Amino acid sequence: MRRSLMLTLMTWSLLSIPGSAFAAEGGTGGWVGPFAVLAAGLGMGLASGLCGLGQGRAAASAVDAIARQPGAAGRIQTVMIIGLALIESLALYVFVIAAILLFVQPVK
Amino acid sequence: MQAIEHPPFVSLVGHGIPDHVLYTWVVMGVLVVLSFAASRNVQLAPRGIQNFMEAVLEQFLTLLDDVIGLGGRRYLPLIGTLGLFILTSNLLGLIPGLMAPTSNLNTTAACALIVFVAYHVIGIRKQGFVNYLKHFCGPVPWLAPLMFPIELVSHLARPLSLSLRLFGNMFGGHVLLAIIFLLTGLDGLIGWALTGKLGAILLGVPGGVVMVAFTVGFLLPLKILVAFLQAFIFCMLSMLYIAGAVEEAEHH
Repeated sequence: MRRSLMLTLMTWSLLSIPGSAFAAEGGTGGWVGPFAVLAAGLGMGLASGLCGLGQGRAAASAVDAIARQPGAAGRIQTVMIIGLALIESLALYVFVIAAILLFVQPVK
Repeated sequence: MQAIEHPPFVSLVGHGIPDHVLYTWVVMGVLVVLSFAASRNVQLAPRGIQNFMEAVLEQFLTLLDDVIGLGGRRYLPLIGTLGLFILTSNLLGLIPGLMAPTSNLNTTAACALIVFVAYHVIGIRKQGFVNYLKHFCGPVPWLAPLMFPIELVSHLARPLSLSLRLFGNMFGGHVLLAIIFLLTGLDGLIGWALTGKLGAILLGVPGGVVMVAFTVGFLLPLKILVAFLQAFIFCMLSMLYIAGAVEEAEHH
């Protein structure tokens, strides 16, 4: 009960601070901009963390395979690098979106 | 924001030439001079720059043989040009004050579109239009209405992911370095230490030393690795796409 109340309060305060700060300024800046910064940071953190988990699994399997069959190290490495690149591109999509949110600011 | 955008030292934006076009010309100049110097006086026992360029091309040939197999060497002009251009432009971005053309989405999208058009043209020329269309349709005829849209979307996603991967890696590295320089430089830790207050000196000097050591010792080698890796991955995926367009003829 207390924990959920704390969570609700924290979420509420987190959500209300940027909005109220800009509302006090007199309304030239919209309220979306601060949330865009928030979304860029949180999204990039989530994406890179999960991408790290996925890449870790791939690299661990590759190391395992190379340890079992050192002769096939070259081919396994090539396949691993391609797989890592494909996994990493998912995080890079988020990075591009974060960069758009921060620098281009399509929604003020 | 000025520090994050970090415009290059030499810029012709005022004359209507964007930065990435200007630095693409620089890359073209470097490659033309290298190739000219390598092939000006070709000898059977290569020496100097000819030896270097032959070693580079040998790597491409080995990759082509590994991935595409028989007849793969025909695509050396396409893959080699793309690889050398992307590698040189990635490495150009490491020199302070210059800009990597690949850290602009327009350059990478151009490269990815060239690959996209090229592997379709190669596939159609190899197998004919109807036969090439057939492997958009899956293994069984009655699955075709389901498979065709899926294959279409997956093929359209290829240039998107190719261009965004290269652009994201290069641009991300630049933004990271720019933010580190902003935090460490005269506006950041070092500038703070130069104010002369005791606490600022005690915290700012070791902090500045650690940040500079971290940048030079870890981030720059990492960026060199990423430059090579991204060029390699771009070539590798292009070769895989070409291999897919060429060899599927034998399965049908």
